[in-house]
Amino acid sequence: MKVKVRFRLNGASRTDEIEPNQALCDYLHDVAGTTSVKKGCDTGECGACTVLLDDAPVTSCLVLAPQVDGREVVTTEGLGTRSAPHPVQREFVEKDAVQCGYCIPGMIVTLSWIFEHAPGASDVEIKRLLSGNLCRCTGYLQQIEALKAARKRG
Amino acid sequence: MKSFQYLAPIPPFEYVAPRTLSELFETLGGHGKELQVIAGGTDLMIALKERAVVPKIVVDLRRLRKELGGISLEHGVLRIGALATFSQIESSPFVSRYANALRQAAANVGTLQIRCIATLGGNLATASPAADSAPPLIALGATVTLLSGSGERSLPVQSVFSGPKKNGLRAGEIVSSVEIQVNEEVRSAWTRSAVRKENVLSTVSVAVASTITESRFGPSRVALGAVAPTPILAEKASGAMTGSAATADQVERIAALAAEDARPISDIRASAHYRKRLVLVLTKRLILQIISESMTP
Repeated sequence: MKVKVRFRLNGASRTDEIEPNQALCDYLHDVAGTTSVKKGCDTGECGACTVLLDDAPVTSCLVLAPQVDGREVVTTEGLGTRSAPHPVQREFVEKDAVQCGYCIPGMIVTLSWIFEHAPGASDVEIKRLLSGNLCRCTGYLQQIEALKAARKRG
Repeated sequence: MKSFQYLAPIPPFEYVAPRTLSELFETLGGHGKELQVIAGGTDLMIALKERAVVPKIVVDLRRLRKELGGISLEHGVLRIGALATFSQIESSPFVSRYANALRQAAANVGTLQIRCIATLGGNLATASPAADSAPPLIALGATVTLLSGSGERSLPVQSVFSGPKKNGLRAGEIVSSVEIQVNEEVRSAWTRSAVRKENVLSTVSVAVASTITESRFGPSRVALGAVAPTPILAEKASGAMTGSAATADQVERIAALAAEDARPISDIRASAHYRKRLVLVLTKRLILQIISESMTP
């Protein structure tokens, strides 16, 4: 039986009738069209599907889709645009922090949260907070450099 | 367009999110094993995908945050609502002040993304032997309040666990909150060993809570995780620690008794022998830490 949900997705309000037996990551990617939301492990380990749910980073593969009712979801698409990127998005380009790209949307969501909510976090603390975003191309250094550059330039 | 699914789609079920406790208990009362309760969802979603559970109905607690959430301190009792997330617990000044061991464990659960939705009530109800919240709560003497349509009852935290991934909840019952009697004098600490620093299940976890006055331990508890079918109170170690002198010899003896209290198995993460050894080392480390903190004003 379908369930009615009303929530905000990247700033716009959205009403939908959805099947309850699906993870939020599948709904966002396949139905809502926010294709930045990647499914990696599907078990909450890799962080590729990270989105902001009521301004908290969560792995959307572990959220049941109807749980978004009444809440606010932000994906990488909602953080910035090509002409006005989020400072973290801009510095990812500047610092060459992207290789294959699969982990990047989730990583940008987590780093944007660290940028806003943990402005004083040390390198050790940044690594702790970023440990839920796995990247198998880079060594995480460029991403952390990008966050620091974003902090510096705002 | 259908994305590639690592695991086949979750079988269909009916979904309800009650708006009041009476609506909740009405729903819970009418169903048995085919019903699953979802809070944060970090355990249930995996169980659904793996078909470890195949419910006909999923009941979401998300609209009951007012009734089942929040962290408060009243009349000397620290109350943590079942829907409090590990992030909320990690950043609560009350927890930080009165339940340091729990703050430490909360900050190490899963990852940032898990801590932001996983709940304390869910961690207890899932009843993993490695549940990180359990050893600190057992060491701090916490009780769990269970709520059902016919009233509430209170249990020591260790009694909520009845076996690996088996909780002692009756049909129609949910975890409502956890209570800790606070005491300014109590020092507590938690630590663990795991195969890496972050994003990992504990191989062994240990929590200790005690008071120290004039170089003697007052009432003390040592609790262990991932070394028995459930998290346990290390009874011999706790008994030996309570009232004993806070000396190096005694600390060695208490740590050795904690290792005796442990009844680990060998599995993918470590051998039983290694886990017992870890219990000894980690217990000793925590007690020495508590002693050294008690000497710095």
